[in-house]
Amino acid sequence: MNRGTLTTAAGYLGTRLGQALIALWGVTTAVFFALRLSGDPAQLLAPQGATQADIARLRRQLGLDVSVWHQYLSYLDGLLHGDLGYSYVQHEPALTLITQRVPYTVDLALAALVLSVVFGVGAGMVMALNRGRWPERALMPVVLIGQAMPAFWTGILLILLFSVTFRILPSTGYGGLTSLILPAVTLASLSAATVARITRGAVLEQLGRDYVRTARSKGAGTGRLVVRHLARNVSVPILTVLALEVANLLGGSVVTELIFAWPGLGQLTVQSVDGRDFPLVQAIVILAALVYIVVNLLTDIAYAFLDPRISTVGKAAGA
Amino acid sequence: MTSGALATLLAATLTACALPTTTGGSAPGSARLTADLASYPASLDPGLQYDTDSYSVYRNIFDQLLHRDAKTNKPVPWLATRWRQATPTTWVFTLRDGVRFSDGSPLTAADAAFSIERILDPKLGSQQNANFSAIASASGHGDTLTIRTKYPSPTLLTYLTTLSVVPEAYVKKVGNAQFNLRPMGSGPYAFVSAIPGSQVVLKRNESYWGHEPPIRQVTFRAVPSPASRVADLTSGKADIADSMTPDTAIQMKSASNLDVRSAPTERVSYLAFNTLKGGPTDDPRVRKAISLAIDYRSLIGALEQGYGKRVDSVLTPLAVGYPKQLHPYAYDPAQARRLVKEAGAEGKTVVMATSPTYDPQIVQVIQANIEDAGLKVSIDNTDQATYLKKVQGPSHDWGSIRFGQWSCSCLDADGVAYPLFRTGTVWSSYHNTSFDALVDRARQTIDPAARDRLYAQAYAILDKDLPGIGLFQIYSIYGANKRLIWHPDAQQSFYVADMRFAS
Repeated sequence: MNRGTLTTAAGYLGTRLGQALIALWGVTTAVFFALRLSGDPAQLLAPQGATQADIARLRRQLGLDVSVWHQYLSYLDGLLHGDLGYSYVQHEPALTLITQRVPYTVDLALAALVLSVVFGVGAGMVMALNRGRWPERALMPVVLIGQAMPAFWTGILLILLFSVTFRILPSTGYGGLTSLILPAVTLASLSAATVARITRGAVLEQLGRDYVRTARSKGAGTGRLVVRHLARNVSVPILTVLALEVANLLGGSVVTELIFAWPGLGQLTVQSVDGRDFPLVQAIVILAALVYIVVNLLTDIAYAFLDPRISTVGKAAGA
Repeated sequence: MTSGALATLLAATLTACALPTTTGGSAPGSARLTADLASYPASLDPGLQYDTDSYSVYRNIFDQLLHRDAKTNKPVPWLATRWRQATPTTWVFTLRDGVRFSDGSPLTAADAAFSIERILDPKLGSQQNANFSAIASASGHGDTLTIRTKYPSPTLLTYLTTLSVVPEAYVKKVGNAQFNLRPMGSGPYAFVSAIPGSQVVLKRNESYWGHEPPIRQVTFRAVPSPASRVADLTSGKADIADSMTPDTAIQMKSASNLDVRSAPTERVSYLAFNTLKGGPTDDPRVRKAISLAIDYRSLIGALEQGYGKRVDSVLTPLAVGYPKQLHPYAYDPAQARRLVKEAGAEGKTVVMATSPTYDPQIVQVIQANIEDAGLKVSIDNTDQATYLKKVQGPSHDWGSIRFGQWSCSCLDADGVAYPLFRTGTVWSSYHNTSFDALVDRARQTIDPAARDRLYAQAYAILDKDLPGIGLFQIYSIYGANKRLIWHPDAQQSFYVADMRFAS
């Protein structure tokens, strides 16, 4: 890599980082004001029989008796010092509550991701390489059903089948590997189907290319063709969809976590919204945004690594 | 996707499958219990929260100053063995001898006083503060606890049944945050471990002063979806599940290993009228017409599946001060139509404020009932925060009718009459000076007979003016393994010490 390319890469990274920071600030501001527009947290938190004086006292205790701008600035100040606020309901720092839950969500998301990659990429390849033959005809309906079934339905069916009828897997809760299977399969079903379709499409597109025909004519078998020639070329579209799926799996596990009583972030999110726990809702939204932004950033960097033309595409087009 | 819809879905599917059911996971005699709650307890510190799920867990770890008799609902001795009123504002309690916290240290009156003062301290930020705000101070010496109130408070004992006593020395030593994570009390169970968001495990406190609980270990699990709670019960993963819906109750009845356990609670489903700026509902004849238009029986039978009971005011018969002379609301659509005509309100629109927190099916049935009486009903459905902002606003510009559910957790007539209908209180859009005078006097009257008389008069005014109508008394619904011997009470107290398995 020469000096020019390095400068370009650094500039590209700098721009992307700047954009990421602006996006994060935007999300923070939006969620802060949106929550405040939705009503007075003290009113929501006070017991039903509370008097105006009780509500006013609660408002003072929660620091809501100063102007919204004042609250916003002190919130931003806290954020810059790594302070995400304090849960109104659970009386613990929001960051502590979130970090307790992150490992569970990450476990679940990783398990689902592995299933998605293995089954999605596998099924996609098999379908593409067997176009029009029985393996494709057998797999396609499975993929379509996977994409069409909502998580709450898949989850309940799996519980009925494997917990209630056969009693081989736990219905809900966290406790070792067996408890991970059903929620992971539920969560993975949609993304595996998506990955399979994208993979199939990408492989089919490559199969028509000259280099594939050349390789084939040179006598390359299917295995060698996939590993040596196709893998790198179909990786960009698959990576794109996987990156989106990672963020979806991390953030979109709410329904799955509720059905399976999985103690992750999804459950915490619902509990905090239900409980009108503003600081906790804010912290979760900001961290979720951070995950999306970081994942997107890493994806862009990975593109640049896999296909150097992407990072300099602006320059190339200008040249 | 709401949890209610999920439950319905599962109910349908389970019925279709006609599942075989076998005995639960806890083998007979093992005396371990698994309880499914709707959410993870917001707090294990009894000074902070008193939502149902926190309550269900921590009230087993701590002893309360008083309990309620499960049958009469009257405050009865618990940690306090007797009490007297020295002056109208001074109460003296004698505490039980020989009570120890699970670390072996003795429980004294000073711990009880500390527990009260702690809730009153603004620095703790306790959501229970409002329930104890009548208290001016508390002090303890030896086995004597003295509580001074700001004014004569007839509901003090009532609220003291919700007071859990915490160990002063331990709380001060470990600090509030750590105490919340590892609570320690004198109750029948002691904290073992917790996975935040997932489960809390308690074990029997072997040095408990009371009778030995039959259940040796209990695991509280947070399972938000009612459908999943049914699956847990059916598959034997859980022995009991809380916060079940009428829909899931039907489902559970068809499973051979399960029972539905339910009890009427003090929570009441009601309609409140805007009598100040409600348009048509400013006219008492229109309010009367609406009370006649509602088909209470089918509301309870069809929507609540029978898990509800008719009431004759916005108050349940469980409450102290419940007026006995009132008659249940009648369903008379013809009379309702006549009254609407007479008031010249035919074809006029009443705006009904509600939020997704409340059962939309009930709201729709009520809408249809009222429209049958000749009025038009426009439903104004906003999120809970906006709803509260509107209906609690001092300008009373929120519409004509709102649907709500009320519980003061106090089983007392004051807890409904005062916050809902006293002029100038948070929820009230009603004004009647004679009513105000009666509830104000009752608030500071200690003599129970005199209080009953005052509430009888106050509720008679409400019965005539109809600023609100009670729809039905709400039931708590639990699903339980048939072998579990336990019945819920009106306060929804979840004392594991009272539970046992049939051998």
